[in-house]
Amino acid sequence: MKSSWHNRLLTEHGSLLVLLLLCIYYSVVTWSEQHPITPRSGRQLARAIATAPGAHVLIAIRPTAQDRIFASALREELVARGASVIEPVLEGAPTDVRATLEELGRAGQRVDAIATHQPISEWGPLQPDSLAALAAQFPSLKDMRVHRPASHHWPNFLTRENLLNVINQNADIAIIAIGMTLVIIAGGIDLSVGSLLALSSVSAAVVIHHWAGGAQASVVGLVGCGLLAILIGAAGGAFSGVMVTRFGVPAFVVTLGVMMVARGGALIVAVQHQRALSGGATEGTPEAVKVAAPAFGALGNGAMLGIPNPVWLMAALYVLAHVVMTRTTLGRRIYAVGGNPEAARLSGVPVRAVLVGVFALCGALAGLAGLVDASRFEGGRPNAGELYELQVIAAVVVGGTSLAGGQGRIFGTLVGALIIAVIQNGLNMAGVKSYEQKVVFGLIILAAVLLDRWKKHRGAGAA
Amino acid sequence: MKQAFSLVTLCVLAAAFWTGCDSQPGSPPKPAAGKPVARGTIGFSALTLKNPFFKIIADSLTAEARKQGFEVVVSDAERDVNEQSKHVDNFIAQKVSAIVLNPADRVAIGAAVKKANAAGIPVFTCDLECVAEGAKIAGHVGTDNFQGGRLAGQAMIEALGAAGGKVLVLHFKQANSCVMRVQGFREVLDSHNKGRADGRVEVAAELEGGGLQDAGFRAAADALQAHKDLAGIFAINDPSALGAWTALKQANKTDQVKLVGFDGQIEGKQAIKEGKIFADPIQFPEQMGVVIVQHIGKYLNGDAFPTNMLIPTQLYRRADAEKDPALK
Repeated sequence: MKSSWHNRLLTEHGSLLVLLLLCIYYSVVTWSEQHPITPRSGRQLARAIATAPGAHVLIAIRPTAQDRIFASALREELVARGASVIEPVLEGAPTDVRATLEELGRAGQRVDAIATHQPISEWGPLQPDSLAALAAQFPSLKDMRVHRPASHHWPNFLTRENLLNVINQNADIAIIAIGMTLVIIAGGIDLSVGSLLALSSVSAAVVIHHWAGGAQASVVGLVGCGLLAILIGAAGGAFSGVMVTRFGVPAFVVTLGVMMVARGGALIVAVQHQRALSGGATEGTPEAVKVAAPAFGALGNGAMLGIPNPVWLMAALYVLAHVVMTRTTLGRRIYAVGGNPEAARLSGVPVRAVLVGVFALCGALAGLAGLVDASRFEGGRPNAGELYELQVIAAVVVGGTSLAGGQGRIFGTLVGALIIAVIQNGLNMAGVKSYEQKVVFGLIILAAVLLDRWKKHRGAGAA
Repeated sequence: MKQAFSLVTLCVLAAAFWTGCDSQPGSPPKPAAGKPVARGTIGFSALTLKNPFFKIIADSLTAEARKQGFEVVVSDAERDVNEQSKHVDNFIAQKVSAIVLNPADRVAIGAAVKKANAAGIPVFTCDLECVAEGAKIAGHVGTDNFQGGRLAGQAMIEALGAAGGKVLVLHFKQANSCVMRVQGFREVLDSHNKGRADGRVEVAAELEGGGLQDAGFRAAADALQAHKDLAGIFAINDPSALGAWTALKQANKTDQVKLVGFDGQIEGKQAIKEGKIFADPIQFPEQMGVVIVQHIGKYLNGDAFPTNMLIPTQLYRRADAEKDPALK
């Protein structure tokens, strides 16, 4: 009994294990020195500097939100410990640092310490030779020393920022992969998702520009255009579904056709838009269709509770899809259609309706991903989503869904998408070229398929 | 047994994972006053390293940066702005000192540049520009493509001589640099044609050559069918020019149609020496890589530098190729 539990863990959750091992591997590989820029490191730094009361401290930061938080904690602690903080806080580029130091020197302002962080401490004006030159020129700066927070070692891969990056960057692929999982479970395949993504993102951008008010577009207008993008994707998917069910054309061929039509359509829309912008003077270029409405970026670039919006969207959709597939009649019907269409039909499942619905849903999710993409890049890109179909199918297969249909789990796909994302991110962080990454991807997909075969074989042996 | 072993490994690793998350090694703060040389890392996301032009930029940038004490991470965006945005995210997570881009999309890269701006990391562009609103670029180094396009136009007029004729342009409209080249090219032709009845040089067609050898080949082959009397082809870079030459050879029209390329890559120069291409306005990618690192150094030093630097092209003909020691 116990051993079968082990076996189940390995076969059912083999992909999860792979994901964990990958995370650990990259954590080891990217182990490196970290230089914190946090309120905590700011206070620590203040305690280190303010050993002599009355020291004149200059705080130097970059004009970023994170740096300002660091600086305010640093200053608070310095003041509390009796140091004299030179006002205002020096905020700017290297050239500002140089200029300010020279200004302070000319004004005869005594500076004992510059409190800053690692990136600024490596700027030219704070290097030993520059400091020595300043000390020689201005007597009030002769005892000036640069202080920065202590560093510690930690994997670059395993930082909150990077992990959120990994998921956020691949949220669009993971979202489409939900639809693809349903299509593949139902016994189909959809190659058109990448192109549908582009078509809906470009269409939404054009509609926002020309009809929803452009830069002044209202939130209602933007939401309407978002729904339009999803509808366009759904229509493309439904068309494939109808072709497959009514005319019995293989899904591979139908969606290959839709893929080309949608890509061409996206390029045409973009070129016509550019042409319209120039008043018909030029032929137009297939550039991104810009969306100037500031609220539009919220979906792709905004965050709630420190977690990017695409990640929220992805998580919500996965939970929803999981519930549908495991707890509802619809879910059972999708499995039934993929497992044995004839048996499903005889037991009263509306096979055609389920298939069309599943293709439409996959298209709709591609449209939604297109919306996320357009929001992220502040414009609809006719070249968006190129080769996404392959990445999405790879995520589904690596996640353990059988290409033969009838089998597969939604969260398996999430793990599959994350495996691909982590490999890519980890290889990028480790500085591996994209060419080697392709080889690794290919091998992972092959391994996933082999594991699938092995599972089937074992299943047959046990029965 | 094997499974049990995997299971144990899994648990141990999971435990290590979670405990690892909590422990923040809190070594006592040591003021690190003026550490020697380490100047940080430069992250470079190239448009595509499959085009030797960008490979040369990457190599010269890397060599110069090492010389100046920087480390370099080079990523290949493969012309995909989505991929390039991921590179920028990674550079930010790696806390690089500066980012260099050949923007894969001059508008859509803006969101990524703004993220780098918000993280306080300076972004430099090289060869291609970023024109997104609100995205701050610390410095740009590129080719004067308009001037280069004018040189290409002059070369075409020179190649076609007194007879003039119809010209095909192999474009790559997605890249603004190429748009500038074709603008310069057309301007020279227009002023040449003004008030001239014969010997006119007219653009008969402008086709998308993708800046690639295969796409350039297909577009040129089609144009040769459509325009039997084509006299010249201006290709906006060397790969598409070489593709066009293959089409000319297949159609037996290498004598009838004169080719003008752009870039001056080693294959392009070789083709000029062999008489396949009439002339190229050549760019200096090896200078770009060096200059951009020098500008980064100056930026980090707080020194002044030209924030928009355009390097002019030079026309390179067969006579130059015969003297070129880099060619066999």
